[in-house]
Amino acid sequence: MRYAIRHLTRFDYDSPVRFARCNLRLHPVDWDGQRVEEYALAIDPQTPVLPGRDNGYCVLGERFVLDKRADELSIESRSTIIVDRIAPEARPDDLSVAEASRLAREARDLGRTAPANFLFPSPLIGVFPEIAAWCAQELRPERGVVEAGLALARAIMAGFKYDGSATELDTSPAQAFAARRGVCQDFAQIMISGARSAGLAAAYVSGYLRTIPPPGKARLVGADATHAWVILWCGPERGWLGFDPTNACTVGPDHIVAAIGRDYADVAPIDGVFVGRNGQTIDVSVDVEPLG
Amino acid sequence: MSPAAPNMAQLPGMPTWGQGWLESYVAQADLGDVVRGDLGRGARWWHHLFDGVATLTEGRLQRLQDRIGRQVDDLGTAFRLPGDTSERPWPAAALPLLIGEDEWRGIAEGVVQRADLMEAVLADVYGPARLVADGTLPAPLVTGSRSFWRSMIGMEPTSGHRLQIYAVDLGRGPDGEWRVLADHVRAPAGAGYALENRLAASRVMGPLQTRLNIQRLAPFFSDFREGLAAVCRRAAPRIGLLTPGRFNPSYAEQAHLARYLGFLLVEGDDLAVRGNELFVRTIEGLKRIDALWRRIDTKFLDPLSFDTSSRIGVPGLMDVIAAGNAVITNAPGVGIMEAPAMAAFLPMLARKLLGEKLKLPNIATWWCGQDGPRAEMLANMDDLLIAPAFGDPVIGLPGGASLGANIDWTARAALEQAIALRPQDYIGREVVRLSTMPVVQDGRLVSRPFTLRAFATRAADGSWSVMPGGFARLGDDADVRATVMGEGAFSADVGIVALHPVEPVSLLPAHVEVRRNPGTLPSRAADNLFWLGRYLERGDATLRLVRATLGGTIDADGGQSLVPVTLDRLATLLIATGAARIDDADDAEGDDEEPGEIRDLAELAAAAIDGPGYASIRTLIGAAHGIAEVIRDRLAADVWRLIDMPLPAAPAEDTGAMLARAASLQDRFAALAGLAAENMGRTAGWRFHDLGRRIERALAVCRYVRTFATEAATSDDLTTLLDLSDSQISYRARYLTGLALVPVRDLMTLDPYNPRSVAFQVDRIREHLAALPSLRDDGIDEAPVAAATELGFTIATMRAEAMSRTGLLSLENKLAALSDAIGRRYFLQGAETIRAAGMTLA
Repeated sequence: MRYAIRHLTRFDYDSPVRFARCNLRLHPVDWDGQRVEEYALAIDPQTPVLPGRDNGYCVLGERFVLDKRADELSIESRSTIIVDRIAPEARPDDLSVAEASRLAREARDLGRTAPANFLFPSPLIGVFPEIAAWCAQELRPERGVVEAGLALARAIMAGFKYDGSATELDTSPAQAFAARRGVCQDFAQIMISGARSAGLAAAYVSGYLRTIPPPGKARLVGADATHAWVILWCGPERGWLGFDPTNACTVGPDHIVAAIGRDYADVAPIDGVFVGRNGQTIDVSVDVEPLG
Repeated sequence: MSPAAPNMAQLPGMPTWGQGWLESYVAQADLGDVVRGDLGRGARWWHHLFDGVATLTEGRLQRLQDRIGRQVDDLGTAFRLPGDTSERPWPAAALPLLIGEDEWRGIAEGVVQRADLMEAVLADVYGPARLVADGTLPAPLVTGSRSFWRSMIGMEPTSGHRLQIYAVDLGRGPDGEWRVLADHVRAPAGAGYALENRLAASRVMGPLQTRLNIQRLAPFFSDFREGLAAVCRRAAPRIGLLTPGRFNPSYAEQAHLARYLGFLLVEGDDLAVRGNELFVRTIEGLKRIDALWRRIDTKFLDPLSFDTSSRIGVPGLMDVIAAGNAVITNAPGVGIMEAPAMAAFLPMLARKLLGEKLKLPNIATWWCGQDGPRAEMLANMDDLLIAPAFGDPVIGLPGGASLGANIDWTARAALEQAIALRPQDYIGREVVRLSTMPVVQDGRLVSRPFTLRAFATRAADGSWSVMPGGFARLGDDADVRATVMGEGAFSADVGIVALHPVEPVSLLPAHVEVRRNPGTLPSRAADNLFWLGRYLERGDATLRLVRATLGGTIDADGGQSLVPVTLDRLATLLIATGAARIDDADDAEGDDEEPGEIRDLAELAAAAIDGPGYASIRTLIGAAHGIAEVIRDRLAADVWRLIDMPLPAAPAEDTGAMLARAASLQDRFAALAGLAAENMGRTAGWRFHDLGRRIERALAVCRYVRTFATEAATSDDLTTLLDLSDSQISYRARYLTGLALVPVRDLMTLDPYNPRSVAFQVDRIREHLAALPSLRDDGIDEAPVAAATELGFTIATMRAEAMSRTGLLSLENKLAALSDAIGRRYFLQGAETIRAAGMTLA
């Protein structure tokens, strides 16, 4: 499947900003089962864009410095991506959770995608006894790792309510877990926290999801959103496989990976600092158009 | 070999207390005690120390402790515990830890070897990562540390080194063997405390230290400074110490070190990155910084590259590092070497990378991330300390590190299950026994376990230089690693006893270019010095009002007290200046002679000292204290001591006692003004301090004249006005007649020869501004200069006869506007804070 993706973010400042430095992580990465064909970025007011500093994870960063006064700032990325991925299924010869954990621990690899990077609590995703215990019901040591991962994703979808008003960007996994509600980020964080507690290497993926309109309805342009899910390292053979706890499925052709890191802080589409007096309103619109 | 006796003659008839102390101490100390060990090997330095102390204290040990305590107060050594709102005095122990030169040589070699090892491991991890690829170093041992930053991979340090300074905690076992307890590489704290302990000890012990041949610390600090300067690109580099700010536990140490080393003490806000270069904001605009000694965690260093929520870092600093335009030391990411689990691998890494055995052994450590060590650890759990591998809290060890034997069976089952799931999070450590050293407590010698923090720095040629000494921490607990400075814990000077007399070290380098200018003044320092001046001058003004008010109510010679209308004006001023804030201001407005009147004035005066008003003495001293803490590196120790002194206790409602208290407080403010006038170098910093004082004084005088020199002024009003400004004598020198309104007005406002007049202040302000650097090259005056010029002309054209309330108010407004203009031009733009640009999410 080929997709045209448009991701537009508009900042409206209460009073003009004088200076801003931003990191962008909007350029989708090439990853298993997907290839980026085209990418373009437009910033208004116009300003030169530099390659980002490599943060060491699977991120194609860009950055810019805005040193003129601005009341508004808009950042728009357009990409065309081919996704050729089949949603993985559990196999009888999959490694067990315990084996996958042991191999993740023992892998002699310090590279970008090395499992060791994703074994430990990270700044936004801690390890919590209550999440660990709940997730351990599915992630039993002897269970096949893909089967267990899918079972956990399903358990999260079944046990949690999708509720955009329940959590904020900085809600911790423990808070969302206690409330049993949240959005894709919360579900991904809970699953990652639980998987790491079980000893697995688990990473956070930011990206886009193709939304299928209800039968007879046209696709609404711009109504899509950025999405977040989980990849688990399932041993040297199967490698990193995607699990989507928001949709209780493994990750196939409908998911488009933008960036992969330990948690949201590594992959946030836009962050940075600005010099100004007051607040800002942020408006995000995402459009995922299947080109066939 | 028996160490040679230092050149101290045993005088006949010398008190024998010293030997008595030593004998009774040794009799009660454990076998492993450091004094017992040294004596057993024939060392004599403890004898000399105790003899010397006996002579100094005339046989009373507590005197030594008291004297050390006074020196510590005097030096202003202090620290905070997390959450403290004010600093605590540093608990310095009276007696130093003495170590013989021979023994120390072995320790120092071990420290240097370990520093080299740290550097080599870091170069591999952030470089080719061969140690991970060949299985020597398990990958999770690196990634499990919060200090591992992938963004630093491949970032070659400009200086060729990631470590410029290194510290290590050592424990001495009862068998006399020194072992490493912990490594400190991120921002090793404590070198400043070692220095202050030594200063305090030197002041008390004096020549005794020389006679004991104690090696000097100063060369270590000059090595550090020169080592850092040597890796900078410019020959005369500007070096900053980047502090997290005054609420950091070791802020006092950082300020002290910055002053001692000649570094600029800077916070993130003081720095700016432009075009991959690092600058400090100064009154002369942005000035290049060549090196930063960071005392803040990597996480907070640059919000664009590390933690986005950091408000204390420097946005873009990573660009500077990547471009190699400034040396940021120690390099970000080095903290991986501090992980307790790393100790398990250091013996092997030393063999592999250095081809040597570790000269200083670690405490034995088992990392559970590997099957073999995990099995051993589980088998010997009762005898080991079970601890988090990376220092962060882990499941199964709710109280942090625990002795295996102390974990009951239910907790143990939970712990073993947690270890099975995430073995990489746990280590077992051998339990350390520490030997003891003497400490004075309640006038008696007792023995306490201790650890020693040693320091190494790179000297100008890049080689390691070890501080001959360090600081010892003593605890009541057997495990002093767990001891934080606070109740019951002491820190002691560590003296290395040389075999031969120590040459008096000349810290003077061979050749130094003469300069008379101390360098560029950072904007923050200018800002703080300015406001310190304003607050101190305001405090002086409040005390003048208090004294006039209280003095005016005393009917000393019968009938000499001020008329009620004048007292009423004083009361109004006390309230209007913000000095006295009382709940019901009407209380103070008495235009009749109620019996309660005098008591009300006393209440107002008391409130002006101890009340919550924004110009009360308590508030102003608090504000001055906050500022002085921030610029401690620029203040003389005496200034800090006067500001840090507590307020004298409030007396009862006795007016005489209150008056005496106000007078003694005013003496303190006068002493501060005197120190500024006589002792501060005539630098830009002094100018800002004086500008603050002049503006504040001019404002106060305008207000006094406006209040007392009205058309309806009584002679009491005019007397009070002259008293408030110490101008009685100036008036009498000029006028033989009695008090008259117009001459008083002229003297107070327009007379440029009266040092308390508004005109005099404005003249000084104009001189200061003219002497400060200009950012313009077109010959046009900058805004503050223009504003001061206009103010000068206004005063020059004013006439005392025609002076009106509005005229005076307009002068006050112009002074306030001038203060703002100075702030805008020279200071940080504090109102505009840096904010997160926000993150977006579905």
